[in-house]
Amino acid sequence: VSFPGLSGGGIRLAGEGGRADTGEFKRRFQWIALGMVLVFLGLGARLFELQVVEHDDHRAAARENIVRRVTLATTRGIIRDRTGKTLAASRPAYNIYVVPSRLDMQNVWPRLVEYLRMGPAERAEKEKEILDMRAEDNKRKDQQYLLKEDISRDAVADIKTHERELVTVTPRGKDLVAVELVPVPVRYYPYEEVGAHVLGYMAEVDADKLSKLHASGYVEGDRAGVTGVERSWESYLRGTRGWEKVLVDAKGTRRSGHDDIIDEPKRSEPIPGRDLRLTLDADVQKALEKAFRGELAGGVVMVDVRTGRILGMYSKPTFDPNVLSGGSGKAVIKAAFHRLYTDPLKPLLDKTVSGAYPPGSTFKPFTALAALEKGLVDPRAMQQCRGAITFGKRLYRCTHVHGPVDLHKAIAESCNVYFYNLAAPEEGGGGAVGMDIIAEMALRYGMGTKTGISINAEASGRMPTRAWMTLHNHGHYTLGFGLNAAIGQGATTVTVLQLALAYAALANGGTLYQPQLVRAVETSNGTVVQEFTPRVRRQIDINPQNLKLVQKALEAGVTAEGGTALLAYNNSGLRELGIDVAGKTGTAQVTHHRDSSLDDEKSWYFNRDHALFASYAPVRSPEVAVVAIVEHGGFGGKHAAPIAFEAVRAYQQYVRTPHSAKAAARDGAAPKPARKPPGRPARGHGGP
Amino acid sequence: MARDNFTRLRDQFDWPLFIAAALIAVLGVVNLNSATSVYSGSRSELYVSQIQWLAVGGILGGVVLAFDYRHYERFGYVAYAFGVFNLVLVFMLAKDVRGAARSIPFGSFQYTPSEFMKLFLVIALAKYLHDDPRNEGRTLKDLFVPALLTAVPAFLILKQPDLGTATILILVFLTIAVLTRIRWRSALLFVGSAVPAGYIFYNFGTHGYQQARIQAYLNPEADIKGIGYHAHNARIAIGDGGLLGTGFMRGTQNQFGFIPDQYTDFPFPVFAEEWGFAGCVVLLALYGFLTVWSIHVASQAKDRFGAVLAVGAAAVIFWHAVINLGMAAGVVPVVGVPLPLFSYGGSNMLTMLGAVALVMNVSMRRYGTVPAPDRL
Repeated sequence: VSFPGLSGGGIRLAGEGGRADTGEFKRRFQWIALGMVLVFLGLGARLFELQVVEHDDHRAAARENIVRRVTLATTRGIIRDRTGKTLAASRPAYNIYVVPSRLDMQNVWPRLVEYLRMGPAERAEKEKEILDMRAEDNKRKDQQYLLKEDISRDAVADIKTHERELVTVTPRGKDLVAVELVPVPVRYYPYEEVGAHVLGYMAEVDADKLSKLHASGYVEGDRAGVTGVERSWESYLRGTRGWEKVLVDAKGTRRSGHDDIIDEPKRSEPIPGRDLRLTLDADVQKALEKAFRGELAGGVVMVDVRTGRILGMYSKPTFDPNVLSGGSGKAVIKAAFHRLYTDPLKPLLDKTVSGAYPPGSTFKPFTALAALEKGLVDPRAMQQCRGAITFGKRLYRCTHVHGPVDLHKAIAESCNVYFYNLAAPEEGGGGAVGMDIIAEMALRYGMGTKTGISINAEASGRMPTRAWMTLHNHGHYTLGFGLNAAIGQGATTVTVLQLALAYAALANGGTLYQPQLVRAVETSNGTVVQEFTPRVRRQIDINPQNLKLVQKALEAGVTAEGGTALLAYNNSGLRELGIDVAGKTGTAQVTHHRDSSLDDEKSWYFNRDHALFASYAPVRSPEVAVVAIVEHGGFGGKHAAPIAFEAVRAYQQYVRTPHSAKAAARDGAAPKPARKPPGRPARGHGGP
Repeated sequence: MARDNFTRLRDQFDWPLFIAAALIAVLGVVNLNSATSVYSGSRSELYVSQIQWLAVGGILGGVVLAFDYRHYERFGYVAYAFGVFNLVLVFMLAKDVRGAARSIPFGSFQYTPSEFMKLFLVIALAKYLHDDPRNEGRTLKDLFVPALLTAVPAFLILKQPDLGTATILILVFLTIAVLTRIRWRSALLFVGSAVPAGYIFYNFGTHGYQQARIQAYLNPEADIKGIGYHAHNARIAIGDGGLLGTGFMRGTQNQFGFIPDQYTDFPFPVFAEEWGFAGCVVLLALYGFLTVWSIHVASQAKDRFGAVLAVGAAAVIFWHAVINLGMAAGVVPVVGVPLPLFSYGGSNMLTMLGAVALVMNVSMRRYGTVPAPDRL
C-alpha cells in the first residue's frame, strides 16, 4: 500500500518550471520577517512601558478598583437628665431600598408590598414610580431607590425572615439582590414634646452647610443637631466615624480573604459620641408641662439659686422632636415643619430664651433696689395711691386704689403709683430715680444682656437708657419713659431666663450665676470626662438691709394678706407642705395692634397682656428661683403664679432632700443610668 | 514506504516549530485555568475542554501533515468555495450571540466557518500565486483576482458582523501581497487610495459599536465605565503585573472580575498580570519565533505554493497575535480577535493548529528531491 502523498513522479513539476520558481519572493521573506520582529519588539516596548515604567500607576489603579474604604458608623451620645434618665438617645431604624431594574415585579414586588403593609394607594404610587424608572433609559434604574423610610418593626422582622424570597432570580438562574434593608440610627426622644426646645432636634445637613462641614467629617445624609443642646453640643455628641478598608469585586460584592493585599492601616475604629448629663430633671420637666396644660403659650424656667443650674425649662407650644429628627420620611418632616411655621403661637420659638418680654411688675424689686441703693427713697415714707397719677399731659394708671403705701406694700401689692412717683422728678427737678439708674441696677442683675446659656438663639432683652430712648424717639426724650421703665413697661424687655437668674441673685444675696445646662460630659461607659462647676458671672454689691427689705416685700407678695399671688399660693397646697415662696406677679402690656388677618377671637387673644410671675423658694433658705410667663394670659397672679407654684411643688417632690440626697449618692457612684433597674426609689415622699 | 514515512517524521520533523507552538498552548492552558478560576461550575473547567480541543487539533494537525501540501494546491479553490458556502450558511443557521451571528450549532458544538475560512483563503491565494508566476513587477490589476478572493469572504464576515476576522483576512492578503513583486508605483497608488477607502468604510461600512470602539481607542480614558471599560482594565491588569508579576492566580484584576472575556479575547491581561514583564517577554518571544520561523520555512519551500502557504499561515498567526496583544496593551482598537493557540475556543484552536500543521507540512517537504505527487 503506497501512501499517496509520498509517491508519484515529478511530471507536472518538470513541465511547469515557473511554478517552482520562488525567485519573485526572494528577499521579501526577510522584509516580512524583519517587519514581524519589529512589530513584536514594538509590542514588547509597549509592555515595558505599561509594566515597568508605569507600573506604580497601574498598581494603584488596580488597588483602587478593589479596595473600598467603608465608613464605620459611630453612635451619637446619649443625653440624660440630672438623675440619669434618658432624654435623647439613638434607636435603630430601617430604611428599605430597591434597585428598580433588578426588581422582579411579578414575584418579589407583591411580597414586598405585603411585608411593608402598604395600602393600595401607596402601592400604586410606588409601583408607578418604579415602573417609570425601569422604562427610562438611564442609570437611575440600576441605582438604589429609597422605597420607604423607618419601616415598622414587624416589617423589618418579615423582611429579615423572608430574605430569600425577595431575591430576584434571573432566567439564567443568577440571584440578584434587588431589595436591601439598611439600618439607620434615628434620634429618639422618650419624653417627646416635653423640653423639646432645650434638647433641640436633628436634621439632615443640607448641601450648603455640608460644604462648610465637610472638613469636620460630615457626609451627605448626615444628621446634625439644629437647635438646643443637640446643636450646641453637637461636636461632643456626634462622635467620630471609623473606617475600614474592604475588598470588593467588579460587581461591588464584598470579598473576604486576600487581606494581605490591603495596605496598612486597614481600619480606624469609630469613636462613640460623648454622653451628656444635664442639670435638668425629667420629672420636673414633666410637671412643668402638666402645669402649663391650661394655657396656650408661654414659658417657665426653674434655676437652682445656689448654682445657676437649670432644673426645668419649658416652652409652650412645643413640638415633637421625634417627628422632626426622625426617619419617618422627608414628606412627614416637611409637613410637620409647615404646620409649625404657620402656627401663630410660634411653637419653634423657645420662649424661655429667645423671647423677650416686658417684665412688667416683676421688675419693681429692681427699681426699688436702684432707689434704695442711691438713697433716693425712704422705704418707710408713705405715699398716697389714688389709682392713677397725671404726669405731663398723660394719665398713668395703677391697678386699683391702694391708699397709703410704703415700699414694702408697693411691691407686695404691686402699686404702680408708688413707682411712678419714684421715677417722677420732684418739683424743681432732682431726686428722681431716672431711667439710667434703673437700667444700671437691672444690668447688674444680668437683665438686658445675654446670659450665655449657649443654646438656641438667645435674645438679649433691652434695658433702655435715656440716651437710647432719645435716639429711638426722633431725638426727644420724655420723662414719661422713665415712669414706664420704673414698672418694667415700655421699651424694657427681658427673657424669662434672665429674670429667673436675677431673682436667683435676689434670693441668694447677690450672686449672679452663669446659667448651666450641662453638668458633665461622660464617655459611653459612664466615666465622667469633664464636670462643669457652677460659674459666677458677678457678685452684686448690694446693701444687705436694702435687699432684706425687698425680700420681705416679695415674701409678703405671696404669703401675706393683700399679696398679689396670695390666692394662687393658697390654692397651690404649698402652705400645707410647709414651703413658703417669695415672688412678684407681673402683667406685661402688649402693644395693641389689630391684624386684619386675624378673626375677632384671635385678635382678642393676641391683644391680651402677658401674665408673669417671678419667684424663689423657700423663703428662709432659698433653693430655686422660678419664673413663668403665660403669653396673653392676662393677670400674672391668676395665670402665671399657679404654674410657678406647681414647679416648686415638683421641685419639692422630685429634687429636694431626702430624695435628692439619694440621687446625689447615686450620682457620686456614677452608675450607668440606662442600666438602672426600673424600680427607682419611690417618688414624692420627701420634704419636711 | 512506511519506513520512509517514519524516518521523515524523525529526521525532518520541525521540532523548533512544534516546541514553540506547544509551549504557547501549554501556557494558554495554564493561564486558562487561572482566568476561569473566578467562576464556579462548568466554566471553571474550561481548561479541560481546551486540552481536549488541543488533542483534537493535534490529531487534525497530524492528518493535515500526513498529506503532502502539494495535494492541497489542487483542491485549493474547492476548499475556498466550501468555506464561502459555509459563510453563506451562517446567515441562515447561526444564532445571535451578543448582537453577532458567527457560529452554526453543530450538535453540542459551535462551528465557526469564519475561522476555517482563514486557512481556505491562504490555500486559495497560494494556489493563485502558484499558478501565476511572474518575474516582472506586478501592477494592481494583477492583484485583482487575489483581492477579490479575499474580499468575498471578508465582506460576508463583516456582515455577521465580525470586524476582527474580516480585518485579519485583509491583513493576511496584504502580507501575501508584500511577498509578490509589486511595482513601486502600484504600491504607492494602493497606499494612497487606502486612506480615503478607509475613511469611507469607517463612515458607511461599520456599525455604531465598532465606531465607538475605535473612538474609545483614540481616547482611551474618555469612557472607562462604558465602551472603554475592557481596554482600560486590561491595561491596568497588564501594568499591575510589573516586572515579575503577581503570581499564579493572584492577579487581582482577574480574580475580582475586572477583566471581561478573560478566557476568549482578553486572556493576555490575565497572563501579563500574573507573570509580569518577564512572562510577557517569554510569550512574545515564542510568538516571534513561531512566526519568523514560519517565514524561514517559507523561504526554504521548494515551490511557490508552499512558500505562500507558509507565509499565509504565519500571517494568520502573526496578525491574530498582534491584534490581540495590541488591543490588550491599548495600541490597537478593541476588536474581538483571539490570541492564537492561547485563547479558549474550539474552532480557533483547530484553525491555529491547522496553520501550524501547514507550516510544518511545508517544512517537512522541503528536503531532498521528492517530486510533487501527481495524484491523490
